Amino acid sequence: MISLEKFIAHIENELDDLEPGTLTANVNYRDLESWSSMYALIIIAFVDSEFDVTLTGDDLRNCNTITDLHQLVKNRS
Amino acid sequence: MNNTPFHLHNKTIFITGASSGIGRQIALSTAEMGGKLIITGRDKNKLEETLKLLKGGGHIAFIADLNNLEQIDDLIKKLPKLDGVVMNAGISEAYPIKYLTSQKIQETFNVNYNAVVLLMAGITRQKKLIKGASIVFTSSISSSFPPKGGAMYSGSKAAIENFSKVLALEQFQQKIRSNCITPSMVKTNLYEDLEKTVTKESMDTHIKQYPLGVGFPEDVANCAVFLLSDASRWITGTSIIVDGGFSLNGY
Repeated sequence: MISLEKFIAHIENELDDLEPGTLTANVNYRDLESWSSMYALIIIAFVDSEFDVTLTGDDLRNCNTITDLHQLVKNRS
Repeated sequence: MNNTPFHLHNKTIFITGASSGIGRQIALSTAEMGGKLIITGRDKNKLEETLKLLKGGGHIAFIADLNNLEQIDDLIKKLPKLDGVVMNAGISEAYPIKYLTSQKIQETFNVNYNAVVLLMAGITRQKKLIKGASIVFTSSISSSFPPKGGAMYSGSKAAIENFSKVLALEQFQQKIRSNCITPSMVKTNLYEDLEKTVTKESMDTHIKQYPLGVGFPEDVANCAVFLLSDASRWITGTSIIVDGGFSLNGY
């Protein structure tokens, strides 16, 4: 599994319309101004295609930060 | 049965995807209305459970994985003469376009479209349909009103809707009819899975757009019974929307 820094950089790149540097390790991603259901779909599909890990909407809801998400993906991969 | 055409007595009906959800309910309802069924599904235990629940006798269950070409061929060969077919098997996975791959396309289209085409090709070529038979496809309201992430699923259902029309055109001289049912969200296991995937909140928000509230499998099954029965003998090449008023898009 890639490092947290790389994971953040990847996710930030995947989420269109996100200013570089807005997604930090401890920001609650739902508080992002551009957060939408599309972002949730993107994160789920990206994690599935890159790491072969299945996340659900409930997982995204139960996590708050990208650090939580990174940990979850790490645990499942 | 008096003179009402609203029944399925003396009709042999083949139903795919009968192990759970809408397909299982279509099986239960068609058996209830007098039909003799051949049901198929992937999951042996669930399919046998459906078989046990069917009213009346003489029903048959065949386990088949519609991803497997040999199993499709084998299934077609085993079919008797049919008065009705319900193509219900299907899978759904929300996936944004930018992550789609050849494999992802195949996963959905193999079951939702290719298998349906191959089954209908075999069934018609091997003359398994009697004159006046009725074919019913379970489509989805997403074929016209797709959600984000629905490129594969709603695309496959849109393809099925046109396939059904071509089938209707090619078979009308035999009085064979072909129609689609176009449901919106109904309460099945798939619905519960979707609640986990996209969260319950977003499903609840979606259902708020249904004037008549969320649907149940029997709401779709009742429509299938109608389309399989002689009561619908003048209906072919069309789709019946069963969506609790969702597509009214009212306010």
